Amino acid sequence: MASTTSTTSTSGIAIRRRRRPATPYLLLLPAVAVLLVGLGYPVYWQVVTSLQEYGMLQQFGAPPTFAGLDNYARILADDRLVPVVARSIAFCLVNAFLTVGIGLGLATLMRAVHGWVRIVMQVVLLLAWATPLVAAVTVFRWLFDYRTGVVNWLLVQLGFSQADGFAWLAQPATFFLVATFVVVWMSVPFVAMSIYAGLTQVSDEVLEAARLDGANGTQILVRILLPLVRPVLAIVLLLQIIWDLRVFAQIRLLQDGGAPVSETNLLGNFIYELGVGSQDFSGAAAVSIFVLLLTVALSAPYVRSLMKEDAA
Amino acid sequence: MKRTRLTAGVATSMTLALALTACGSGTDSGDGGSEGGTPEAADITLWLNGSDTPDELRDFLVAEFAEENPGSTLTIEEQDWEDVVTKLTTALPDAQNTPDVVEIGNTQAATFTYAGAFREISPELYAELGGEKLLPSFVEAGSIDDAKYALPYYYGSRYMFFRKDLWTKAGLEVPTTLQEFGDAVQELRTGERSGFALGGQDWRNGISWVFANDGELAVKEGDEWTSTLSDPSTVKGLEQWQDVFAQASNLPPTQTDEAYWEFLNDPEKGGEPEGATIMAPGWARWSLGDLTKNDEGDEVRDGMADTKKFDIFALPGVDGGVAPVFAGGSNLAVSAKSQHPELAESLLRIIYSDDYQTMLAENGLGPANTDFNEVMAADKFGEVAVETAEASKLTPAAPGWAAVEGAKVYEELFQKIAEGGDVTALAAQYDEKLTPMLNGQAG
Repeated sequence: MASTTSTTSTSGIAIRRRRRPATPYLLLLPAVAVLLVGLGYPVYWQVVTSLQEYGMLQQFGAPPTFAGLDNYARILADDRLVPVVARSIAFCLVNAFLTVGIGLGLATLMRAVHGWVRIVMQVVLLLAWATPLVAAVTVFRWLFDYRTGVVNWLLVQLGFSQADGFAWLAQPATFFLVATFVVVWMSVPFVAMSIYAGLTQVSDEVLEAARLDGANGTQILVRILLPLVRPVLAIVLLLQIIWDLRVFAQIRLLQDGGAPVSETNLLGNFIYELGVGSQDFSGAAAVSIFVLLLTVALSAPYVRSLMKEDAA
Repeated sequence: MKRTRLTAGVATSMTLALALTACGSGTDSGDGGSEGGTPEAADITLWLNGSDTPDELRDFLVAEFAEENPGSTLTIEEQDWEDVVTKLTTALPDAQNTPDVVEIGNTQAATFTYAGAFREISPELYAELGGEKLLPSFVEAGSIDDAKYALPYYYGSRYMFFRKDLWTKAGLEVPTTLQEFGDAVQELRTGERSGFALGGQDWRNGISWVFANDGELAVKEGDEWTSTLSDPSTVKGLEQWQDVFAQASNLPPTQTDEAYWEFLNDPEKGGEPEGATIMAPGWARWSLGDLTKNDEGDEVRDGMADTKKFDIFALPGVDGGVAPVFAGGSNLAVSAKSQHPELAESLLRIIYSDDYQTMLAENGLGPANTDFNEVMAADKFGEVAVETAEASKLTPAAPGWAAVEGAKVYEELFQKIAEGGDVTALAAQYDEKLTPMLNGQAG
């Protein structure tokens, strides 16, 4: 809607040729500088390190030696890599779609409820979003504690006596269930708010017209609302996929509660274990570059379709 | 020697996050300039790990340091044992942000010493600080040939804390052999109570069974380290531990070295304690006992004052005597990048002074200077501490040991054994994984 009006207005004015102003470029400069310093340098350092032999000795001042692609060869031959990658992709997709699904549900609910209920919902969502990560994971760890956790207690009260003393973090399957709770719980607010913002842009006339034509609730959602907020949904899902692929701290903090570490490592944890845990900085750098490429590969088709949509 | 306390761990990681942001301002270099041998006044930082060093000792260091170095101050920052290798790896090479003096686990000292992270302690200073009297195995962990880099801070070994009331009620006596111990704790186990509360991933306690059976984790042949889990003695020890875990502990196989004292104390909600026996370092005493109020009015444990209820014994050996347990403890070193090495050395002189060594011993921390062992052996806790420390063993001082700990390889191995895995097969599998790691070859 907004885009159609703007294109017509620019094509109307753009007949007159103007000299190219310098201001936009000047305004871009700080952002580009920050990106170069904040992202460019670490990436450059990462690439250089991944091509060197860089361990504990080098960290304390010994000159690093050039190793070519040895680190990549070593990492790709490592039999820990494939399971970690598979696990990460599965975890990322499940979480991203779950988050967007629940977020969409909450957004449509917010649209449907009364003013003050909506405000309560928004406040609650914001509070969940504002909870610091360490605090949130700690709370979940306590909730699911095998000895003193509320979850086990509730289950026992409900008659599931086998839940008494059940260690949620001890098996990969239930570990990832808890991890999914944490990750989804923390990211749903952002998704719900974004989609809700998109939904408020849908004009009431369109919906009224649909209702007059006899469309029911489901039809309005699927045929009218979803297509209209598709750009928002698409961006949010893309962001969520990228974020969930690099999830690290939640897993790490849960592992500290006692978990099968190597069977619950995701890519971020694998890099941490290599680099910080085993002081194999060059190997960790190589995996990081690999993750960067993986992220690009996962999101490239998606970004392309987004850009096409923009151009259309 | 690393250990977690659930709440303390969480609290420290939170404070750390806060502390890190404030770190940058640590090295303000005043324009005082050094005159006549007195070092420039400055603020130096000491990193201590966990809550092992009691507040009383910390206060002493701060006050004493300020007195000996007018104008200078000492800041003590507490690090979490779980993260200490990470923190040291990133902080020590950075001259702007390095702590001046650091505590490091004795098993981690070798890795950092070889990497050149520490400032050499001159032979004169070494002699002044105690020289030959300092605990030799710890000095060795922080030396390259004759050059000393990291000195012992304190040692501690683990012994058994038990509920005497429960043991007596079951008609059990303090065991004299490792087998008797296993049988006793098995008998004490019920659905709600661990006879011996032990986490599956807790290899630092678990390796006592390996050592007791004359097993080794790794041996050095020539310049190469070899993991020796498959050695028959090691396998025997691991199998015996597997049996004890399966028969006597209700804890999950994934549980790490946790706050075991919670199992031994009377639960706050009332009822029976969740464990009859635990194995822990000597300072665990102060987390045990009945609740009481200290001088400030805070609720604290009375340190096992009720001797009918709580007591201790040393883990018995296979054929009686005392089992060799994991020798825990830590070393102290000056960062190679410290901006104030003279002040750092002044702090070392305070730490190795008779006063401070006495205080360590009185608080149940094995003093670096062996002359002060007598002070420690003054009560039953000290006696058992000295007795177990004499029989204790260090983990392999291999260059890659810190990496092995960092990657939690033993946690994983012990978890799999605790889950009932085939010990011989697991031992072979992990030998293959550990040998290159021990020699410092990554992954």
